[in-house]
Amino acid sequence: MGIKRGVSLYSYQQEEWFGRMTWRDELREVATNLGGATGIEIISEATIPHFPFPGDEFYQEWNFEMARWGLEAVCMDVFPDPLIFRRDHVMTDRELAERLRMEIRIAHRMGFKNIRAQADINVVEMALPLAEELDVRINQEIHYPATIRRTDGPMGGRIMDVVEYIEKTGTKHYGLQPDFGIFKKEPSRIYINYYFRAAGEDNWEEKSKEVLERYRAAKTEAEEEELKKWALDTYPKVFSNRYAVGELSHTTTPAEDLKLIAPYIYCVHGKFLEMTEIPGKPGQYEEVALDYENGIRVLKEIGYEGYIDSEYEGQRSQQDRGLEHMANEIEEVRRHHEMMKRLIGE
Amino acid sequence: MYDSFLIRSDSLSNFEEDGKVAGFRFGVRIANYRGCFLSLHNGYYCEVDGVSYPRSAQRLQVNGKPPRTFEDLMQHAVLEHWDMQDEAFLYVYKEGGLTPGTHRIGILESILGAYGRRPDDEEIVKNPPDPSIGGGGKTFNVVYYDLELQG
Repeated sequence: MGIKRGVSLYSYQQEEWFGRMTWRDELREVATNLGGATGIEIISEATIPHFPFPGDEFYQEWNFEMARWGLEAVCMDVFPDPLIFRRDHVMTDRELAERLRMEIRIAHRMGFKNIRAQADINVVEMALPLAEELDVRINQEIHYPATIRRTDGPMGGRIMDVVEYIEKTGTKHYGLQPDFGIFKKEPSRIYINYYFRAAGEDNWEEKSKEVLERYRAAKTEAEEEELKKWALDTYPKVFSNRYAVGELSHTTTPAEDLKLIAPYIYCVHGKFLEMTEIPGKPGQYEEVALDYENGIRVLKEIGYEGYIDSEYEGQRSQQDRGLEHMANEIEEVRRHHEMMKRLIGE
Repeated sequence: MYDSFLIRSDSLSNFEEDGKVAGFRFGVRIANYRGCFLSLHNGYYCEVDGVSYPRSAQRLQVNGKPPRTFEDLMQHAVLEHWDMQDEAFLYVYKEGGLTPGTHRIGILESILGAYGRRPDDEEIVKNPPDPSIGGGGKTFNVVYYDLELQG
């Protein structure tokens, strides 16, 4: 057994947006070019045509294609969008739970055993009976800048509460889904480069390099604050963007923290921004911004036997110039699987 | 996202109503990776040759239906999805339309999708914000295109 490899079709979003690949092409790519990957993850409303009413024909086609390639439907990612009834109100908790139930029914028809959700515990609780009936698990995502232990800040403050709830109730249909973005080593240059370009800065490659060097030199909290101040003073247009300044944060999750939630990890997102060749090792690749080495080591130590699904996200920050400068999603995912295969020790 | 590709470059043309040129239109794509339920679409900041056109002057033609106002979409398109693979047309009312030649168009899409509830949700319901706040989409700046009016 051991850790299994899969792909979130989110990784191929750009190919789809430009009409160069469909979900059928993507399934074939995963099944035939990734050296034994077997898992598929989707975002429901990105992949399913005319979501949430694709028609019976779509479901049957999906199940045929998955059977054709011998693939396993691992996880379906869903979003709450609490403002869809903004003509008169913000969604209530009961409505948010109904949205989850709608997604659970769809996941079930497509063979998915998990959905990835971002929802409060009381909302999940209302959807749990259906999750149990249809055997579809609801997993709370742990997404940067949340950490496993963090009790403040966006999307944080509830991971250990979820663990407490699962242990109190003994449910097998509520779990956790860490995203590798939480194991941050440094900001990806893909992001910093983009923020410089978006602010209209010239020589953005050099400037971005300097920011990264200063980030590596800043170790303490005080030094981080100094770095942010320097960045804002030197490049006010770039770092007045809160996402850009957020990249300078040293918030991270030590991989060892996975041990706190070990029994409740059912899926893992293999987030990455860029795979580069390891110096001196042709054909071997790494994601320098994220700690894959320790993340996968600890997952092995705790006996995790579920999937890590590639979630390539670097393309999004390279679409502001011409087609010739855009990322190659297919190649990035292939490189990511070279790395995962090697670190898993297949 | 897709900053350079949100308007199709050969899609700008005038349109007629009752035999008169009533405005102009162009093909738009969604600036995110998942599409959206159309009731979340809050319209566009839309600027042409330095003049901005408010949401009330805009209509969206999508999913093979006639152009609709954003008020109509908010009221009725709660479970109607704009798929991320699909093009829509933004219609902008301007008596007489645009003159022949090249025009500089700036747009910023405002889609109120979210990962969860946010502190300003109630306020958004009471007073839909101006589309110039952007939000929800994954492109944060107004992006500009120089487009030639098609015959």
